[in-house]
Amino acid sequence: MDTLTMLLHGLSISIMPVNLLACIIGVLLGTLVGVLPGIDTISAIALLLPFSYSMDSTAALIMFAGIYYGSKYGGSTTSILMNVPGEAASVVTCLDGYAMAQRGRGGAALTVSAVGSFIAGTLGVIGLTLFAPPLAQSALAFGPPEYFSIALIGLIVLTKLTGTSTLKSILMVTIGIILGTVGLDSMSGISRFTFGIDELDRGFDLSLLAMGIFGIGEILTVMTASSTQSKVQTIRFRDLYPTREEARRSVVPIFRSGILGFLIGLLPGPSGTTSSFASYALEKHYSKNPSEFGHGAIEGVAGPESANNSANSATMIPLLTLGIPFCGGTAILLSGFMIHGIIPGPALITQQPDLFWGLIASMYVGNILLLIINLPLVGIFVQLLKTPIYILMPIVAVLTLTGAYTINNSVLDLMWIAFFGVMGFYLRRTGFEPAPLIIGIVVGPELEQGLIQSLIICNGSIWEFLTRPIAGTILAVGTAFILYHAIHWFINLKHQQKETSINSNLHQY
Amino acid sequence: MQTQTTLTTKNNYPTKPITVIVPFSAGGGLDLVARTMEKNALKYLGQPLVVVNKPGGAGTLGWNELVNANPDGYTLGISALDVVIQPLYGTTKYHYPSALEPIAQVTTLPFLMVVPSDQPWQDINSLISYAKQHPGQLKFGHAGIGSPAHILGETFAKTANISLEQVPFHGGNDITISLLGSHIQIGFVPPLTVKEQIKAGTLRALATTGEQRLTDPDLAQIPTFKEQGFDIVLTNWYGVVAPKELPPEIKTKLEEGFKTMIADPEFKANIENLGLQVEYLNSDDSKEKWISDGDKLAKTIRETGILEQIEAQKS
Repeated sequence: MDTLTMLLHGLSISIMPVNLLACIIGVLLGTLVGVLPGIDTISAIALLLPFSYSMDSTAALIMFAGIYYGSKYGGSTTSILMNVPGEAASVVTCLDGYAMAQRGRGGAALTVSAVGSFIAGTLGVIGLTLFAPPLAQSALAFGPPEYFSIALIGLIVLTKLTGTSTLKSILMVTIGIILGTVGLDSMSGISRFTFGIDELDRGFDLSLLAMGIFGIGEILTVMTASSTQSKVQTIRFRDLYPTREEARRSVVPIFRSGILGFLIGLLPGPSGTTSSFASYALEKHYSKNPSEFGHGAIEGVAGPESANNSANSATMIPLLTLGIPFCGGTAILLSGFMIHGIIPGPALITQQPDLFWGLIASMYVGNILLLIINLPLVGIFVQLLKTPIYILMPIVAVLTLTGAYTINNSVLDLMWIAFFGVMGFYLRRTGFEPAPLIIGIVVGPELEQGLIQSLIICNGSIWEFLTRPIAGTILAVGTAFILYHAIHWFINLKHQQKETSINSNLHQY
Repeated sequence: MQTQTTLTTKNNYPTKPITVIVPFSAGGGLDLVARTMEKNALKYLGQPLVVVNKPGGAGTLGWNELVNANPDGYTLGISALDVVIQPLYGTTKYHYPSALEPIAQVTTLPFLMVVPSDQPWQDINSLISYAKQHPGQLKFGHAGIGSPAHILGETFAKTANISLEQVPFHGGNDITISLLGSHIQIGFVPPLTVKEQIKAGTLRALATTGEQRLTDPDLAQIPTFKEQGFDIVLTNWYGVVAPKELPPEIKTKLEEGFKTMIADPEFKANIENLGLQVEYLNSDDSKEKWISDGDKLAKTIRETGILEQIEAQKS
């Protein structure tokens, strides 16, 4: 009841004209950042910080938060329509979203993605409203051994994500892990695999890799294909929205992945990306027809796009209740807060209730605004596909490169993105699906760092590691899951062998 | 003719916005100082500052770029104690103290030694006696091998004659998360990272590494190591640097501009609100400090075995 009163009070603050305007500007900018491939949220907010100096602090914070959660809405647009992810968190949406678009269901995929984002984003904000302080506390029970356990199980489960051969997936993950080791290693204080190139000390940025392999790679694929132009279809109005069947199949994934994403968002790391991958694996597992995944399954769009939005809302919890950012996006938000003299921490709720509740309420308002903005945009974006490819693709390429430059303000990064573009192009041509590579580069460093930290924390004893309650449980459940699948696979193999031997026996007679 | 035009440009300096390279990602302490300056620059320098983040390589990438920048006063950078430390390990491309020119020191920030507040230790001595009874049990978190916090942890262990295990993290935030969950027992972190936690009573600070106590009323009760009989003093600082060979007129203008900006009470209030304290030094004094800090730390990293540890990794 108390929470409700405070929330209503917050609502009255968030709909004050100046704050509402800030919210609208924020979510509009966020949508733009999300839609434009290459431009990532962190550099966008960093670029906009100076423009906020003269703003009222509450309005400024509402605007920054709007950009932050708004950017997760638009990220799927280019994934679905062009197979070019708008954000690293939308890489996995390409798999089924683009397949849907090729079948003429792009509009439906975009609508489901927008509605899923809205529902899951709002679910996340509800979680934030009701349980923020206790959730932040329980997230702290996870230390390096627990992160390591999650990363290990995650890596094994997520490797078999796409339809291509397991061997190819493992190869991709391995290359991802190898790329993740490049750079100055804070665990040892030395540079690894930089071959004397100073700029490699920075390591490869996740966004950069995703933009190169998927964005530039896809542009090259399209530009070199001879007959793509013929595919431009006229899209009828009713094709813009999901059929009853598609809507029905999306409901459960939206809620299930919404909850999954929220939980992942409570842990440190790039939770937008990890949650969308985890959601894809989860939905594929629970789907009645997993073989459809990769060929335009609506669940493969609904799940990940919902997960990354609720993860996004969840990342606000440690920021607002502990004052500690758990990911790059909230780190730049914290900067924005501090520049305006607001220092979030455990005392924020009690000492600045107007600001805290105003911000939370603005997130409800913002999510509704985003839905209102995004649904009509579906029609416009789908029309964009009528633009001839030889005009559209160069524009997308320029946008991607511009965005890539703003990540580290580095010219060398542009060469890397071109390199990864060519790599992505050849990977696709040779039948490799590069999505697992992204898992490798995200999870690899977590694994290495987690193992080093965990073993020091556990006094070098594996036993002490395994007997930590949470880490032990995660590893046990993970092992059981993997064993179950291994046995399942083995029995299937036996059956097949038996059938083939029966068949061959029959042939003999 | 040529010289005359250069002279007039110098006299009019600055005629366009000044780029400030922040060698770390947006969101850190260094970045916040740069952006606070960005907010106040126009009034004192006559032109806006444009903050550009060039993260990577523990700050070295941004500083390398600054070393190579045109010394025309339109490219400046933010420096920190790491400018002095990094070259000591012999892994950097340039020797920054001789390749860069300090313009001003803006703030100083000591480190705080913090422990989770559910641990029993109320002061350093109880921590030390616990460590002596449980050798190898206590772990301290720091922001990477060779970082100031790592040097501090090893120095503390050596001074107190105890053994502490070091756990490398990516930065102050990660250390704080692990401290709050009691996964590690000790952390060496800048005040701005843990101020709110100390205020809320979730972390307890046992000592600050400054010469004097902090002036911030929320943190002024924390005793220094020196007060408690330990000769441990290490203070990080942030400053403004330029490439070497800046024309003297431009250097003077910049020095004056930053000096008056830093003296502005509003600027001071902004910096203090971040949990930092303003401590201005001019160019010459900064240079002196770089040299003395460098000499002192060169000795420390040898004595604590950190240099050896990093060199062993290299080969």
